[in-house]
Amino acid sequence: MHPPDRFTCEEVFSRLDDYLDRELSVAEMQLVREHLETCAACAGEYRFEAGVLDGLREKLRRIAVPGDLMARIAERIAAESK
Amino acid sequence: MADRPSPATTKPPTVTGTPAAPASFESLLEPLLDSAFGTALRFTRNRADAEDLVQEAALLAYRGFGSFEPGSSFRAWFFRILTNAYFTKYRKRKREGIQVELDDAPDIHLYLRTAELGLHDRAEDPASLLMSKVATEHVEAAIAALPDEYRVAATLYFMQDFSYQEIADVVGVPVGTIRSRIHRGRRLLQKALWTIAEERGIVSALGARGDEGD
Repeated sequence: MHPPDRFTCEEVFSRLDDYLDRELSVAEMQLVREHLETCAACAGEYRFEAGVLDGLREKLRRIAVPGDLMARIAERIAAESK
Repeated sequence: MADRPSPATTKPPTVTGTPAAPASFESLLEPLLDSAFGTALRFTRNRADAEDLVQEAALLAYRGFGSFEPGSSFRAWFFRILTNAYFTKYRKRKREGIQVELDDAPDIHLYLRTAELGLHDRAEDPASLLMSKVATEHVEAAIAALPDEYRVAATLYFMQDFSYQEIADVVGVPVGTIRSRIHRGRRLLQKALWTIAEERGIVSALGARGDEGD
């Protein structure tokens, strides 16, 4: 059986999550990329999903960390060692 | 490789006293603390518990540092301890705020809903326009609404740059399970976010023309 030399829209759609996360094989990444270069509809979905993921990641990582956290941990380790 | 305390034979060294052993543990831990606190905050959903969880994980890691294999990923090892500590102490808590149902996780939910609003015809970059209207607190509320196993996988996915395999190793489940939880968790997150956007008037604002100047 020969490997497919191109993906359909359905085949790309079913792999979109893995493609976004670079979790496909090298060969499948290439096939998806080639499809996105020629299919405006799938490329639009991909760009939208990637944009939402970037936005979610950026907002979820926006956190004020307590400035003395490492010092408190160091104190607890020191207390335990006594 | 730096000296490491052996739990069985070595008294834990002081942190502020003589040099050597304590510095090696802290030098590995300190660069991870910001992302550890962020992850713990998404796990526990409140700052006091997140700080307790990070401190507890750090102590557990310190005590078990003798079992850490030099040359392996300290980051993956520490986040495994943090995640296990969360499971042990907090996982029985109920979800808060809005609830999303597991049997209803539509594909590309936000894409379809924003297309219905006509956003794709009006905006050059509809995803950026949508996300510019969504506040961090809305995203926090959406991820807090996920069932626990999905929230843990989504948190490790969004807060760290782990691969699926690394997340599977941290959580201790097969990689196929993590792949499924991340994909489905993202769909649930999109649905929850849209629900919140509707409740807060963001959807109706997006539907009004003249808002596409991002």
